[in-house]
Amino acid sequence: MSTADATARRRRVRAVLAALAAVLLVAAPLILPAFANQTLVRIGVYAVAVLGLNIVMGYTGQVNLGQIFFVGLGAYVTAYGVNHDWNILLVFVAACAIAGVAGLLVALAAARLGGLAIAMVTIALPIVGVPLAKRLSEFTGGSQGISARFTDAPDWSGLANDQWQFYIVLIVTAGAFLLARSLVRGKYGRAFAAVRENEAVAASMGISPYRTKVLAFTIASIFGGASGFLYLAAVQYTSPETLSFGHSISLLAAMVIGGAGSIAGSLLGGAYYVFVPQLTNSIDPNLTTVSQGAILLAVLFLLPGGLVSLPRAVRRLTRRAAPRRSTAQTAPETSPQTAPAHRPVPDAAPEGHEQTERQDGP
Amino acid sequence: MGTFIQLVVDGLATGSIYAALALAIVLVNQATGLINFAQGGMAVLSAYIAYVFLQLGLPLILAILIAVALSFVFGALVERFLVRRFERGDPDTAVVVTIGLLTLVTGISAVLWGYNNLAFPSLFPLTSVEILGAVVSVRSLATAVTIVVIMVILQLLFLRTKLGLALRAVADNPASAAFSGLPVGRLLMVGWGLAATLGAIAGVLVAPQLTLTPGMLDTALVYALAAVILGGLNSPIGCVVAASAIGVLENLVAVYIPLIGHDLKIAVPFVLIFVILILRPQGLFGRKVVVRV
Amino acid sequence: MTLLELKDVTASYGPVQVLDGVSLSVPEGGSVGILGANGAGKTTTLRAISGTVRTGGTIRFDGRDIRGLRSDQVAALGIAHVPEGRGTLGQLSVRENLMVGAYLRKDRKAIETDIDYCLNLFPQLQDRVGSRAAALSGGEQQMLAVGRAFMAKPKLLLLDEASLGLAPGTAKTVYQAIRRLRLDSGIAMLVVEQNANLAFSLVDTATVLETGRNVLTGTSAELKGMDEIRRAYLGG
Repeated sequence: MSTADATARRRRVRAVLAALAAVLLVAAPLILPAFANQTLVRIGVYAVAVLGLNIVMGYTGQVNLGQIFFVGLGAYVTAYGVNHDWNILLVFVAACAIAGVAGLLVALAAARLGGLAIAMVTIALPIVGVPLAKRLSEFTGGSQGISARFTDAPDWSGLANDQWQFYIVLIVTAGAFLLARSLVRGKYGRAFAAVRENEAVAASMGISPYRTKVLAFTIASIFGGASGFLYLAAVQYTSPETLSFGHSISLLAAMVIGGAGSIAGSLLGGAYYVFVPQLTNSIDPNLTTVSQGAILLAVLFLLPGGLVSLPRAVRRLTRRAAPRRSTAQTAPETSPQTAPAHRPVPDAAPEGHEQTERQDGP
Repeated sequence: MGTFIQLVVDGLATGSIYAALALAIVLVNQATGLINFAQGGMAVLSAYIAYVFLQLGLPLILAILIAVALSFVFGALVERFLVRRFERGDPDTAVVVTIGLLTLVTGISAVLWGYNNLAFPSLFPLTSVEILGAVVSVRSLATAVTIVVIMVILQLLFLRTKLGLALRAVADNPASAAFSGLPVGRLLMVGWGLAATLGAIAGVLVAPQLTLTPGMLDTALVYALAAVILGGLNSPIGCVVAASAIGVLENLVAVYIPLIGHDLKIAVPFVLIFVILILRPQGLFGRKVVVRV
Repeated sequence: MTLLELKDVTASYGPVQVLDGVSLSVPEGGSVGILGANGAGKTTTLRAISGTVRTGGTIRFDGRDIRGLRSDQVAALGIAHVPEGRGTLGQLSVRENLMVGAYLRKDRKAIETDIDYCLNLFPQLQDRVGSRAAALSGGEQQMLAVGRAFMAKPKLLLLDEASLGLAPGTAKTVYQAIRRLRLDSGIAMLVVEQNANLAFSLVDTATVLETGRNVLTGTSAELKGMDEIRRAYLGG
């Protein structure tokens, strides 16, 4: 069978699977219990946030420690809009737009700095955000937070609240994922990858690293704002705690663990964010942080591409198990002393460490 | 005037804590090319270790010295086993590793000692002294002076000793330094160890004031990073000056500009950064680095 | 007495094999050249010796097997590598670069004497002793690199493309100084050089590499005479 046939067949299979998944997703809330729907809703909320983070961090390689700030901002805008009886669509647009503008402003300054400055500056966002949220109590309800209910199922739909919420989140999440997918597959995706690989080379290709970084960051913020809207739709309450530093790191960890630089990985990241801290909290709340750190480090060392790269890694391991010393080369006992600066492959986070076998030792 | 001097002295004290962390960050960056976001977290763990020895009945100064010595070992081990893989590679990846380390270290502190605020005794007397008509805290003065002295010692180490020369050589070009017989791996461990001791000293000096808790130095780290941005990654002196300025400024702003007040004063260094860096991307003191393709 | 011996040495960067069986030997106090076109594997041969690349085959120095040792361990045995691109410690001063060269030595007074010797050998460096090495010109940096290698008082000097990027006059000056160094100290040398004339001014024998293998070995006199070889491999 020629490769063209194989590719066409694969594409058909994928299309069928996608259609099946779509049907399943639409039917699911009608069948599943309320608790399951609520869980899936929360996965969607965080998946969108992780997806945004992935665009600026996984694809464009800029460490962003402030994504949760934009989620919180989106949630607050949503709460404000709902409580002032704005049209729901307007609320959604406002959440995304205001978060986007905030992100744009931050990026315009931070991206100028280059290197790790974006990481160092974005760390301030949640840290400044919490007291700011407490201060601006007319908008935010101060330390008490603010509630807003707007996702009660309308009578004409005949649905339960959790089912209605599910559909809202499904629409926005699906939209976000499709948008992200087409973005990274197009010329912007290539620009992101080029900037991530090597900014100087990207510049010589006519891609402006500065503009690309600003764009990626702004998109990430817009997604964050959308996630905030969904958050309020699901949880119906937000407070300064929502955008705390701890949550910021959790979101980043979720992205890496799910799979940096991967659309599907963002979904896994959202799932991780919802399930794992809950699990560890139920065992012992003090354990949550340490287990998160341990898992994150484990992933970085053993599975840098995240959970989404697990099938690939397993395949590689099974291939290696088979004997393959076809080259009559003597077993190299020495290894390179210096680690050349390896740039990760755009599709995954830090891979390629198999090459970097240094002879270690004090 | 009295209040002003008080605020300045207190600001210099907190600024010196930021400076110590900033210097540690710069040290690690120069040696291994990455930013260690766990620098503060590691320092807090060292303070907890001192606390443990205190509980065992040791005198404060001894507990501190032991903890600082252990922090050196800890820093060296972190370099060897955790970070080495990611050095000289993509710095953004390495940063995520340090963030993982931060989470892990904070988590360990939480598991072992919980999230409650623990009291930590002050090395310096909690009295005050009169300077120019202002009542100034002895602890603040002593903290600032101690850290300055330690930083001067470190500078002397780097500029005047053979070890310092070796550390600088390895930071500059590790492969080439190895050609002259320098044990690069071992020296990197020493670099990280020194950075960790700097952090530990800052931790035990500020613990009495902030009370010991796993997230004690989270905010200080943020200030330290701001100082590094302002001072420039390759200018230790710039960072120290920036950190001191940030410490003093945050105090003055909190008191004299009530609109900002104590809760929002953390925003001040970042507003500063935004303004300064729009005009001068390499920081106040840093040198423009040419990246060769 | 053979100081350095390479037998059927192979080397690869990951999956790419660059050396496919290189053999050569350097006698004590001798000077051997490695010649060949770009990509022939000359630099990789030096890297194989100083431990910066994966290798197979035999590499013996002073009678012991040194394959698999780290760079700093190889240096401690008495091999000083002046890498391609010079490897100058840019942020350190000229004097500090030389001091780093003497890192493994303990004889403080002799180190000072040797620094003076270096500055004498390379008078251009005398005025720049306190300057940051990165501010030096290409030729000065090359001299500094050779000086730093010498400061280790090695038994064997590995010189990689010392003329690279230098104006012909400067390159000649550098080689003249290295010649004088050899005469004064009797250090053995393994010289990688694309410029055949410069190489032959410094080495007694040479081997020519092509795609990771020896294709020709002989004394300088013999090789110099082979016109076709010269044109094909050595670029005149």
